[in-house]
Amino acid sequence: MTSLILATYILVWPVISAAILLVLIVALVRDMRAARKDGDSMV
Amino acid sequence: MQEAEFFQLSTPVALLLLFGFYGATFLLSLLIGKKKENVDGYMVSNNAIGFGLSAASMIATWIWAASFYASATSGYRYGLSGPIHYGLWGALMILFIYPFGRRFRQLAPKAHTLAEVIQARHGTSSQMIMAVSNLIGSCISLMVNFTAAGALVSILTPLSFIQGVLIAGLGVLSYTLWSGFRASVMTDFAQLIGMILAAVIIIPLIFFNAGGVGMLAENMSNLNAEQANFFSTKAILEQGAPYFVAVLAYAIGNQTIAQRLFAVREDLIKPTFLTATLGYGAVVIGLGMLGMLALFVGLEPADGNMNNIIPQMASTYLTPFGIALFFILVVGSLSSTADSDLSALSAIMMTDVYGKNLARGKPDPVRMLWWGRATMVAATMLGVIFASLRLDILVMLVFVGALWGAIVFPVIVSFYWDRVTNKAFTTAVASAVILFTVARFELIPIEGLAAVFFEICASAGGGVVIGLMTFAFFNRRIAIGMALLVAIGSLPFTLGFLRDYVVLLSSLTAYGVSAAVCIAMSWRSHERFDFAVLAERVTSFHEEDNLPRQQTQARAGRAAMANV
Repeated sequence: MTSLILATYILVWPVISAAILLVLIVALVRDMRAARKDGDSMV
Repeated sequence: MQEAEFFQLSTPVALLLLFGFYGATFLLSLLIGKKKENVDGYMVSNNAIGFGLSAASMIATWIWAASFYASATSGYRYGLSGPIHYGLWGALMILFIYPFGRRFRQLAPKAHTLAEVIQARHGTSSQMIMAVSNLIGSCISLMVNFTAAGALVSILTPLSFIQGVLIAGLGVLSYTLWSGFRASVMTDFAQLIGMILAAVIIIPLIFFNAGGVGMLAENMSNLNAEQANFFSTKAILEQGAPYFVAVLAYAIGNQTIAQRLFAVREDLIKPTFLTATLGYGAVVIGLGMLGMLALFVGLEPADGNMNNIIPQMASTYLTPFGIALFFILVVGSLSSTADSDLSALSAIMMTDVYGKNLARGKPDPVRMLWWGRATMVAATMLGVIFASLRLDILVMLVFVGALWGAIVFPVIVSFYWDRVTNKAFTTAVASAVILFTVARFELIPIEGLAAVFFEICASAGGGVVIGLMTFAFFNRRIAIGMALLVAIGSLPFTLGFLRDYVVLLSSLTAYGVSAAVCIAMSWRSHERFDFAVLAERVTSFHEEDNLPRQQTQARAGRAAMANV
């Protein structure tokens, strides 16, 4: 049981990282669309 | 126990990875290149960067090569809680700093550097304290990242340390030089994708290749009582608390963070910083787990060097493909921070040295841009030379940390309390740095009355840290109440005890002394600063951006004349 909790403790961080990556990619795509629509540069 | 041997990528593969990485990054920077760069865009983009790019840039900038090594070292040394005591506090720093960031941005929406806003608030001497601490800090960061590149290349490839330093230096300069901060932000996104993907693949791979759940159950005995305790007092006192105190200073004293604060669209500051908190924490704590796994499997760091833990784990438990991924992960992390340092250095030289001082507030935008680019070239050269010399930078790093710790309270309070004067600011910082130095290097024996004095200062410093963090999210009364509670309430625990933890004692002393001197001098001041003038004093440098303001001012002037 302790080992399973420990394994979860170790592996949860890559899962959170992947979720953040997904959020950032979706946000970037939205920003790109908005910039193209307005004719602005993203940076 | 594992053998301390490193798998080496072949020279062609290593060169392919390095030139592929920097080549792709350079091509990406060409997408946004302009023949005539806007001087404000070169420093803070369009002040309206979207959520995705800004959050990614914040995470990529804040994760540097040392983040992995230090987090893994913490995991190896302190066991279960080790990675948390590095990554969590670093992440929370980003969270705690954003309410203050919003205030800075609200007061001076067109700022390029925090030192520039300090100049508008106090004057040149305070500005220079801020600017010089930023310059030294970014130079050190640049040098550390180039050193990390050299070390990585010399360990995992047949190439030499110097070759690694040179390739990283020239690679980063190549894509940052022309478009500055805009290129930094744009490339940060791609670099972060590579870094997160690598982390997401590498961490589970190493875990399962090392034996997975079964290995954890079998090797629990490799951890001592402190390492097996998630709430280890030793880990808190030796790693967590000093780092917790230091990171607040880094966040305020680091121009790379301020630059992104002034670049992101104002209404997106909160989601950007919240996402950056989660992203930074997850990646850095995750990689710190590799240090903890090294402890479980009984790995001995090669040559006793803790920085070898992650490369050794990668060499032992990853296939060549995994090692190549790890290689890109570290190159990406050090490059994203190094390009941010170059952008930060150029912004400080352009704004605080040339714009506000040498040009006396009337800078030529074209000349200013060349100041920025020349700074990048000079900084890269210095970074490469110092990295090649492998200088011991610990003392310099300690001083910069102290300087940043000493400026946190005066900087923040200057933008909320109208009584703070330039004299109070500079005296507070100077006295805090002096007393920090005395305690940190034990220039006098830290015993008897001297020890009690420093422990009282440190208790006050603890109160200041908690008070500032409370003030980030609650009102002034609650913050002051919390600060007093911690400062007074901690005295029975700190007196006679903290003298044995000199790093923590001296860091907290810097906070406590700077706050006490700043408050005492400001309290008696008759000055009442009008914060509304900051937005008028801190403006864009580019002429087109200034046009609407100039027209508005001209219209206001004509209206005033008509009224007369």
